[in-house]
Amino acid sequence: MKNKSLLVSCLLLAVFFSNCSKDKAEPIDTIYPEINMDFPDAFPKQCSVVKRGEKFLFKALLSDNGQLGSLNVDIHHNFDHHTHSTELVECEMSPVKQAVKPFLLIKNIIIPAGLKSYQVNAEIEVPVDVDPGDYHFMIRLTDKEGWQTIKGLSVKIN
Amino acid sequence: MKFYTLFFCLLFINGLVFGQRNHPVQDTTKLSLRKDTVKQLKEVVIKDRRSQLRKKEESLNVEIVGSDFIQRNLGGSLMQSLERLPGIKTIGIGSGQSKPLIRGLGFNRVLVVDQGLKHEGQQWGADHGLEIDQFAAGEVELIKGAASFMYGPDAIAGVINVKPQPIPAVNSMGGSVNLLAKSNNNLYGSSVNFYGRKEHWFFDTRLTYQNYGDYRVPADTIFVYDYAVKLHDRQLRNTAGRETAIHFSSGYVGKGFKSVFYLSNVYSKSGFFANAHGLEPRNVDTKMHDASSRDILMPAQEVNHFKLINRTEYQVNTHKIALDLGYQRNFRQEFSQYVNHGYMPPVYPDTLSVAPNLEREFDKQVYSLHLSDQFFVGRHQISAGLNSEFQHNNINGWTFLVPSFKQVMAGVFAYDKYRVNENLILHGALRYDISHIRLVKYTDWFNSERAVAGKVVQEKLVRSEDLSRSFNSLVWSVGLNYNPGQFLLKANLGKSFRMPIAKELGANGVNYHYFSYEKGDPDLDPEQSYQADLSLGWTADNWSVLVSPFYNYFPNYIYLNPTSGHDYYQGAGNQIFQYAQSKVLRYGGEVELKIKLLKSLSTAFLGEYLQAKQLSGDKRGYTLPFSPPASALFNLTWSPAFTERFQKSWFSIDYRLTAKQDNIVPPEKKTPGYSLINLQVGTAVCFQKQPVLISLQAQNLMNTRYLNHTSFYRLIGLPEAGRNLIISLKVPFNIPSNH
Repeated sequence: MKNKSLLVSCLLLAVFFSNCSKDKAEPIDTIYPEINMDFPDAFPKQCSVVKRGEKFLFKALLSDNGQLGSLNVDIHHNFDHHTHSTELVECEMSPVKQAVKPFLLIKNIIIPAGLKSYQVNAEIEVPVDVDPGDYHFMIRLTDKEGWQTIKGLSVKIN
Repeated sequence: MKFYTLFFCLLFINGLVFGQRNHPVQDTTKLSLRKDTVKQLKEVVIKDRRSQLRKKEESLNVEIVGSDFIQRNLGGSLMQSLERLPGIKTIGIGSGQSKPLIRGLGFNRVLVVDQGLKHEGQQWGADHGLEIDQFAAGEVELIKGAASFMYGPDAIAGVINVKPQPIPAVNSMGGSVNLLAKSNNNLYGSSVNFYGRKEHWFFDTRLTYQNYGDYRVPADTIFVYDYAVKLHDRQLRNTAGRETAIHFSSGYVGKGFKSVFYLSNVYSKSGFFANAHGLEPRNVDTKMHDASSRDILMPAQEVNHFKLINRTEYQVNTHKIALDLGYQRNFRQEFSQYVNHGYMPPVYPDTLSVAPNLEREFDKQVYSLHLSDQFFVGRHQISAGLNSEFQHNNINGWTFLVPSFKQVMAGVFAYDKYRVNENLILHGALRYDISHIRLVKYTDWFNSERAVAGKVVQEKLVRSEDLSRSFNSLVWSVGLNYNPGQFLLKANLGKSFRMPIAKELGANGVNYHYFSYEKGDPDLDPEQSYQADLSLGWTADNWSVLVSPFYNYFPNYIYLNPTSGHDYYQGAGNQIFQYAQSKVLRYGGEVELKIKLLKSLSTAFLGEYLQAKQLSGDKRGYTLPFSPPASALFNLTWSPAFTERFQKSWFSIDYRLTAKQDNIVPPEKKTPGYSLINLQVGTAVCFQKQPVLISLQAQNLMNTRYLNHTSFYRLIGLPEAGRNLIISLKVPFNIPSNH
């Protein structure tokens, strides 16, 4: 009998021990930011074509449930078809070739602080002397908490 | 008086165990064949009793499993086989590589001891496995909780101690053949053991070979982001692998003196899923990959782990002095086709000395020395000793993550186990460590671009500067065991520490597997942890219960924090992941309930729960990465004794329920819950007076499609392996001696 009550009290103690530090759950943000390019004048889209020696306007709608962080765009060649975009639709690819002077752009685009949504309109210039062909247009967007959404588009430079 | 009786019993059992095969069984000479059969059985009994005893006498939570447990639950790797135990999980990649997680902590916070010395690989990588051959493990001891004092720093979460097979008996010669086949990844493998001993000299050898193909998942198409990847025959492209292991040990066993040399080489080569390298979707030549499900193309990893260890034990009066000397070399290479990320040149220059397919290489050499003495002073059992280790790490490859470094550490410890009376044991330990690390400067082999005053400047970046840091720490632990009859109480309170690793101090490169620019912090403090452990148990004739809660506080937990920033210069446009320190609180525990329903029918319930929370820093309120969700395992085992021929048989069903994990931290994803059914059936058939062990397993019997929160492939949403039938056979043999 004495043993039993000892056991029961110990189990109760154990339950208490494992529960005592349960604090009130503060809501934490677990939602990734969004890169929306579904509206008509969003650019570039999957399989878009841009021209050498010309400027184009990168247009996308960025949003987050809390606060947006930073934005980076990266244009690099995909002449070897090595990597794939993150998108569902496949584009028609030019034959595999060796890069000579591929276009490379790594650019941080500043998002004003404290915003929930932001439409980016950034001018990007494609130099006249770069290799034409298949490229990737990578968009990396973070929110304040460090969640990152990546969108990798296949584009062509003519 | 009572105390001394118990004490001598313990000593006797201890002696039996340490010399399990050393001391000749009395009726040896006449029928050596029969002798070995009889001895085999005895061995099991003793082991079991010793592990019971060891569990009771340790103030931390200890699980001990023998090679029979591994045989029954054989997974793709040692850690996968042990995953059934409460509080133990793995971080894995593919079907053959995984590393331990003890109560949600892993990497450099779990210390793996193999053959008495700390196993040193590249513990920090989630896509790296543990280079240990599970067939060579005689017994595995898992200590949950801060066990720093005996084994050196790093054991913040716990220790996994892989012990060798016992030394063969006098005048014996024999061995065993293991055969293994798995349906999911078409694995076939074998492990052959051969041992012998005259009077004092013995040898023990083992050869293991495993060969497996791509593993299957219950899906025809999977999505990496939105990009659909069609699978051929439901196989994950290029996840095949090979493994070979060679072990040889030999030595002298005399009265009060023992010296054993141990040599091993574990080699593995395995592929990574070809359609995504890390988080990056890859376009692959499916025809080339699908031609064979057994070929290993790129990306792939190749690891070779070599060990040479000597352990010498000398017993005089009540002293047991042990000296371990060891050398290890872990050589790891990761192969991938060159892809010019960031500012790397579009075409790989042929002037570079690094092979164009060598993405990363880590070459680690470790020299260790352990000296310990165990002796009795009255009712005190005292262990004291020193550990020291020297490490030399070199890197190679066309990507940079961690610099080369040298590291030296030394520590002294004293541990007192005071047997107050028959029911009560008190424990106290102190340990002091000093260590020094020296990082070597690294400069990129390619130019990066930077705009200075409107002009574009091209320069080779210095990724890591020379850095020299010293650390020291005093840690302690106190505990008690109270064990009056059926009741069991264990309590332990301890402080442990871990010095920051080279990656945490000196990383400064892009990890293209994660699209992360990982930045170390050269000013990090050594990580400290305070942990309280409690175990409460009750053992009755037909049932037993054990509840083991823990409470853990880190004043400065070191982790890789994904920030909101991108770095376009050093990080080539990638998200900045910065090593940082924060206050962390963790608590949770395990429950084990075992009920014997009938003489041959038993049931068990194993449950585990874990909660972690960051109390300060950028991720305040968030959990820690790789936090396993709560899970419960229901087991029903029928172990009938049919005839004398079928001595031990078992039919066992495991139903594992895993809760969803919504408590996540960037860059993780929420993982839904799932349930799995595993079956284990087996028997020991007496053949030629040897117990031939046949075991069958069905893992994921219902072919459930699920995601494992702690898998490397979770982030790209790869489902875990589908149904897997495993058949294994262990045939022991005995060569009778002539006299």
